[in-house]
Amino acid sequence: MSKYLTFPDVVFKDHRLLLAALTDIGFPIAEEGKNLPLYGYQGDPRPETAEIVVRRQHIGHASNDVGFTRTPDGYAPIISEFDQRTVLGGAFIPRLRTAYGEQVVQEVRRRLHGTAIRRLEGQTIQITVRY
Amino acid sequence: MPEIEFTIDSTTGELQLHVKGIAGPACDDVVRLARELLGKPATEQATAEYQLRTHVRPQVQARRSG
Repeated sequence: MSKYLTFPDVVFKDHRLLLAALTDIGFPIAEEGKNLPLYGYQGDPRPETAEIVVRRQHIGHASNDVGFTRTPDGYAPIISEFDQRTVLGGAFIPRLRTAYGEQVVQEVRRRLHGTAIRRLEGQTIQITVRY
Repeated sequence: MPEIEFTIDSTTGELQLHVKGIAGPACDDVVRLARELLGKPATEQATAEYQLRTHVRPQVQARRSG
């Protein structure tokens, strides 16, 4: 049996793996709670709330808070257009998605008691899990 | 040996996975696990191998008695 699945949406289904992915890309400190307020770079409250928040102090002096709000499909990022362009050289979302994907692979490997072989081909990461 | 091949495009973070060599409900278990961790896939495509294995009909031969 053989199947292909693709996941293009920017949503993070698993709470624990999202926190681990944030740590992997350099943001180990995140607040967790319900309807946490988000603040802009001048300390101004923003209209959105989130369940996971990386405060601007841990991102950069000109940054806003970055949040993740819970939706039926998982945690969706709330990030300003400015921060999308500047945080991690404008690669915050791609790097977080990549780190989350790698966390997912390790979780699958653990649950299936398998082994993983990782290869890097240019910009593409290929990981084979055998079990 | 069954295997799952994950491909991550690090420029976008988009993930693709290919489940190979797993027969019957075991494949669906892997797909369920992927959905649990990654959400609903945008595309899900059974390959030729999948079609071949899932459409094999059992053959029953009548025994002659006497």
